[in-house]
Amino acid sequence: MPAVSIIIPTHSRPQQLPRAVESARAAGVNVEIIVVDDASQDETAAVCRELSGIKYIRLERNQGVAGARNVGILASSSEFIAFLDDDDLRLPGSLDLQTNKLAAMPEAGFVCGAMLLADQDYNLTGEVSAAPQASGDVFWQLLELDFPVMPLSTVIRKQSFLAVGLLNRHLRGIDDWDILVRMAELFPVLTMAEPVGIYRKPAPYSGQGSSAQSAQLARATRHQLQLFGLPRVQALSKSQRRAIRRRTVNRVADTLLWNAWQRLPEKEFRFAVNNIKTALRLNPLRAVRPSLLQKLANGYRAVAPAERPNVYRQSAERTDSAL
Amino acid sequence: MELTSIIITTHNRPQLLERAVASAFLAGTNVEVIVVDDASTDDTAKICRRMSGIKYVRVDRNQQVAGARNLGLLVSIGEYITFLDDDDVRLPGSLDRQVKLLEADPKAGLIYGQAVLDDQSGQPTPEIYPQVCPQGDVFWKLLGRNFIPCGSVVFRRSCLDRVGLLDHCLAGLDDWDLWIRIAELYPMLALAEPVTHWRKSTPASQQGTSRAAAIVSKSVRQFRQVWQKLPRVTNTSPEMKRHAWQRFSQNMGAHLSYEVLRSLRHRQPAQATKNLFALLRLGPLVFVQLLRANDAHSPL
Repeated sequence: MPAVSIIIPTHSRPQQLPRAVESARAAGVNVEIIVVDDASQDETAAVCRELSGIKYIRLERNQGVAGARNVGILASSSEFIAFLDDDDLRLPGSLDLQTNKLAAMPEAGFVCGAMLLADQDYNLTGEVSAAPQASGDVFWQLLELDFPVMPLSTVIRKQSFLAVGLLNRHLRGIDDWDILVRMAELFPVLTMAEPVGIYRKPAPYSGQGSSAQSAQLARATRHQLQLFGLPRVQALSKSQRRAIRRRTVNRVADTLLWNAWQRLPEKEFRFAVNNIKTALRLNPLRAVRPSLLQKLANGYRAVAPAERPNVYRQSAERTDSAL
Repeated sequence: MELTSIIITTHNRPQLLERAVASAFLAGTNVEVIVVDDASTDDTAKICRRMSGIKYVRVDRNQQVAGARNLGLLVSIGEYITFLDDDDVRLPGSLDRQVKLLEADPKAGLIYGQAVLDDQSGQPTPEIYPQVCPQGDVFWKLLGRNFIPCGSVVFRRSCLDRVGLLDHCLAGLDDWDLWIRIAELYPMLALAEPVTHWRKSTPASQQGTSRAAAIVSKSVRQFRQVWQKLPRVTNTSPEMKRHAWQRFSQNMGAHLSYEVLRSLRHRQPAQATKNLFALLRLGPLVFVQLLRANDAHSPL
């Protein structure tokens, strides 16, 4: 069984962390678990000391999620790298499953599976976020935010980092998207339908996800222009680039409005206003077009899941990054 | 003696690279030489493949120096780390001398040394930098100015586990930023003798330090947004903080005015104007202080 390193950056969540670590342990036979404590000020260090068989790294100065992941990559000793957030879970055997697939296809940059979504108490909601069944070149889908993949669901070949660089600390919350786009530009990507992890959705009522989503999507949309500097995008004609941009902005604006609408019954007004503001800023014309308003009026639940606007889902944003 | 990894980042400079690699092998007895080819578009790859005994990493998308150094760290296995630019050289035996000192003092995180400045043709000048090498807790001194030549540093790998990697968005001052973060937690050692040759940039050479104005404004931003917020600074008295900023901005001002004069001497009026504007942006007080203390001379 090929060895795999799973990197768990953590910041002040000692209650959830042991559960994540145990799930990582059960996810593979030959797993190196690296917990990177991103300068937690609470009992995280003590909790980690009690966990056996992990590599514990203590950052004295907060580096943000991406910075902590980079330190974890540096400390890892295997050829394959997986990431796990401290409040998410890996499914048993999932790391072995993915690593074997990736090892069998040496040209692939990374492999991604499906995720089960859960609420704050780890109860499955029944939703599944799966990558479309299209192994191979997924660069364009990823670039257009049309490819649901998160660090939780991927196993990455360490070699891929050497080609495109490490994670960018300055891209708060979207560092993982950025790096996967860059990898997908150069390498084919393996996808699989089996679920590999459980993603704990940000609580609707905690501040955690409310403003985070719109801010992250806005950041991702802005950052896409930077990614347009990649050679494969540069090789396109101007109008092709404009089309990519238009589709992305539209999709993001739709998603923001959609989610705002969906949260209204829960009286999440701040979330809704944030989303609507961001959507309008991205694309005022698109945000108020009749067909979308009509869809919204027909009600969220009446629309088949496949037709719901959706973009690459972001992991719950942390509030700790010291940028 | 534990293994030392020498990380050489290179971009489109195959002629100079060979000299740097050869010097790296002579610098220490137990070394691992890593060449990170930062997406060179010329025959760097061919030349590297011809070199024996090196670890060659080819980066497909340009990372700039700091990103490439981070990737070098990723493949390195040495307990001690040192960076070398492709146009600089390490002096024979220098690494062994530094590592011995560092091994003798387990508390210290890093040891640096002096650099002989070379001119653009690679000829050594009589100038040596820095002239004095402070040791111990140099955090406050280092906040004021970067007196550590990047190529002269040997640091412990374990430092990175506590302070994080290089910030690859800080082209030109990524090394300074790392030294500050290390100096905040560790005492430093110095070997007060030349350990490396450092090719001086000129305003015309398009090298890192010739973009003085850009680097200074980046440093100012970094000082305000990051360095000033390090716990050792926030936990100190307001006077100390003010003092740190004063020293920093004075040094920046001195450096800029030196660059203004230098670019004028090299007949680069556009660059001189840029530097002058950056100087003015530092604040009028800096200007006054400079007129008073007219020792405008310091490589960054």
